[in-house]
Amino acid sequence: MGTVQLFPEFVSETLGLSGVLGDVVGSLVAAAVVGNIVLAFTGVAGPWAKRKITAAFTDRIAVDRIGPFGLLIIPAAAVQLLAKELIVPEGVDRPTWDLAPLVLPASALLGFSVIPMGRLGPVNLQIADPEVGLALVFAFASIASISLVMAGYASNNKYSMLGGLRAVAQNLAYEIPLIVTAMSVVIFAGTLQTSGIVAAQSDVLFSVGGFDVPTWYAFVNPFAFVLFLTANMAEIGRNPFDIPEAPTEIVAGYQTEYSSAYFVLFYLGEFVHIFLGGAILAVTFLGGASGPGPESIGFIWFVVKLWGFFLFTQWARSALPRVRIDQLIEIGWKGMLVLSFANLVLTAVIVGVIA
Amino acid sequence: MSLEVPDTTETDEVPERTPDELAALLGDLVIDRDDHLNAPGFVIRPDAVQETLSRLKQEAGYDHLSLVTAQEYENRYESIYHLKKFDDPTQEVSVVVPADKDRPVSESGEAVFRTADWHEREAYDLIGIEYDDHPDLRRILLPETWQGHPLSMDYDKDRPQIATLPEHANPLADHHRDAESDTMFLNIGPHHPATHGVLHLKTILDGEQVIDVEPDIGYLHRCEEQMAQSGTYRHQIMPYPDRWDYISAGLLNEWAYARAAEDLADIDVPEYAQVIRTMGAEMCRIAAHMLALATFALDVNGDFTATFMYAINDRERVQDLLEDLTGQRLMFNYFRLGGVVWDLPEPREEFFSKTRDFLDQLPGSVEEYHDLVTANEIFQMRTIDTGILPPAVAKDYGATGPVARGSGIDYDLRRDDPYGYYDELDWDVVTEDGCDNYSRLLVRMREVEESAKIIEQCVDLLEDWPEDERTIQANVPRTLRPDDDTEIYRAVEAAKGELGIYMRADGTDKPARFKIRSPCFSNLQTLPEMANGEYIPDVIAALGSLDIVLGEVDR
Repeated sequence: MGTVQLFPEFVSETLGLSGVLGDVVGSLVAAAVVGNIVLAFTGVAGPWAKRKITAAFTDRIAVDRIGPFGLLIIPAAAVQLLAKELIVPEGVDRPTWDLAPLVLPASALLGFSVIPMGRLGPVNLQIADPEVGLALVFAFASIASISLVMAGYASNNKYSMLGGLRAVAQNLAYEIPLIVTAMSVVIFAGTLQTSGIVAAQSDVLFSVGGFDVPTWYAFVNPFAFVLFLTANMAEIGRNPFDIPEAPTEIVAGYQTEYSSAYFVLFYLGEFVHIFLGGAILAVTFLGGASGPGPESIGFIWFVVKLWGFFLFTQWARSALPRVRIDQLIEIGWKGMLVLSFANLVLTAVIVGVIA
Repeated sequence: MSLEVPDTTETDEVPERTPDELAALLGDLVIDRDDHLNAPGFVIRPDAVQETLSRLKQEAGYDHLSLVTAQEYENRYESIYHLKKFDDPTQEVSVVVPADKDRPVSESGEAVFRTADWHEREAYDLIGIEYDDHPDLRRILLPETWQGHPLSMDYDKDRPQIATLPEHANPLADHHRDAESDTMFLNIGPHHPATHGVLHLKTILDGEQVIDVEPDIGYLHRCEEQMAQSGTYRHQIMPYPDRWDYISAGLLNEWAYARAAEDLADIDVPEYAQVIRTMGAEMCRIAAHMLALATFALDVNGDFTATFMYAINDRERVQDLLEDLTGQRLMFNYFRLGGVVWDLPEPREEFFSKTRDFLDQLPGSVEEYHDLVTANEIFQMRTIDTGILPPAVAKDYGATGPVARGSGIDYDLRRDDPYGYYDELDWDVVTEDGCDNYSRLLVRMREVEESAKIIEQCVDLLEDWPEDERTIQANVPRTLRPDDDTEIYRAVEAAKGELGIYMRADGTDKPARFKIRSPCFSNLQTLPEMANGEYIPDVIAALGSLDIVLGEVDR
């Protein structure tokens, strides 16, 4: 895989730097660019796109007063949220209470470091491509639950506590099926390296009327795709699995006591996690940045897939009821876990026998 | 006065006892007779309440304690237990329990009817009668630090109520912290996204499971009864009912007052006005049930569910019709004693076609809700077999309306105690046997369709009504002074259940006592029965399925 030039290398080469300095500068610049792309998505999604999409699903108009299509609500909301008073309740456990809102977005942003986001012109938007890429991205994403427990425990609020406990129970129940299902992809691709997994999906599965259907694992193994999608929804805590915050039950769960900038950080973290969930889904099942047209516009396809996943989460939120905590655990341990192992064994047998 | 003679066919099945037979049944428990316009009344010994109620319940079949009215006279206190039969609500009897002026104590009826618990607490709170043998006699609507009883005669309303915050019971007080147990005390509300207003649930949890839940009400108490008592029958009371169940069920509430007052003052309502009333009331029912569906989806689906907005959209269409009809969107004030305030809006054709448009699109909407909500497997997982309310328990608590009908109790005053134009029309009472959250929702959704049937028949009638026979109001004197010492209790089927009004006239133009029987008040009492042992989300769902409006609970 060494043929593809990573983003930091491209930066240091363009700047004419080499050695340690080149590595450091290149990595910093690359991380800043990728980080800002993701944050920009979140900025658009949080105050604007989410409202517009939900409104479209529920027969409403949503923000349309400031700017074209209400787009200027984004800076307005940013100013408004940051200008609010940061209320620190009595008896919170600091500094845990202050760290929790930082850990959540950080864990999600870290995950993007190994995501191959495709080419934009000459640039290959991937910061690092380690051998264990897929394992690493799951590891990063899992840090999120620690943040939720920290917030739930440190807030000195019973609703927060319940939310934090729910988050742990949910993550335990769904992380395993998620990773086991991802392993079936690894068996197909024969590598944990994210770029390798994407590359393995570039063959043609079959052709229909001159249109080539690629070997995206969503087409090769739709069953695993559906499993993964479901577990992913639970992992990022979206409907019908949004129970760690379940507003009508436990007010806002772990984030009940957070306001102002801390609230923004939590909100941001959640959205970055949705996009990271979409990115993992795209890499493992939807051929990463591949799509019609030249390879140099791959990034655009990647963005389309990310937003497609985001749209899906909002659709689910508008349409689906929320499961109960005990039902959620039951679905996770008794249903998803069994199915994901069945899928893994089946895949292993098929790959072992046929390939 | 004697019992009304029931003339409908259903009542034949239930054997009715004459007042004399009842007097014989009660024997020496009775010390006097005090008949009301609606029912025979027996004055009994204050220490024989349980014996009397239990004889009437077990042996004469009066299984529905609709209301407990308390009031103070110059020389005595009095509690009235208004009993009915679920099988035939036209069979009524009033048990009148006097209490001593200096030391107002009488026996509690809680051991016979669970619903008496809250009703007697309210009587204690507002009037000051104490009930012996009551399991938990403390204030229910007013804060526990309140001084005096506001509806008693010697209440000094100018006395300032000074109660500092530390005097209020602290919900986090030591007695909730039990080192031995693993339970956790949790306040759900008064400010919580799913309490449908200001309701406070004192909840004890074991993990996520509810060990005990106790509703704490009164945050929205406005002393509506007192306000009605200081208004004149003819004009000043009618605007208040709109403010009890304010979820656009206003006309249904107005009808409760109108029915009681019209029977009290012996006023006949022209047939044309009855048809308009019936149509308007059913529009209100649709609006109220749509909101119930919307908020229930909010509770179960989460707060960005499409169902909520869809149902609100449909409610908006009914609301437009009601606005055309009454000139108001929420506080209609459309009924008058003896009729309605004005005729249908001109041009009538436009109103009719608008109404028919609404009725035409309604089946499509209902179909959509069934696709979106009731057919959803996750929704069924969440609501079927949760929040169980067995029929016997529902009756014991005096649950009525969709809550009772969701538990398979075939009880609807529109059919069983006919008023308005209902008995002339073709429609059905909806019941479901599931006794769970799902059944209660289903009952409401099916009732919407029945209401649409009623509205359609009313529109047909109104369209063909001869122009010279459109009398909207009977000839009612400007000032009504019903005879001294006449008492009446009348109920109608409101959106949430049996909404009753008790009135005592004292010869003036204002009622001496005005008592509201709120269906939500009785229905909410069943919450612990449904919720104990369930998970928090089920408690929220059960609360949503009860469809309470705190404005009516607290009055």
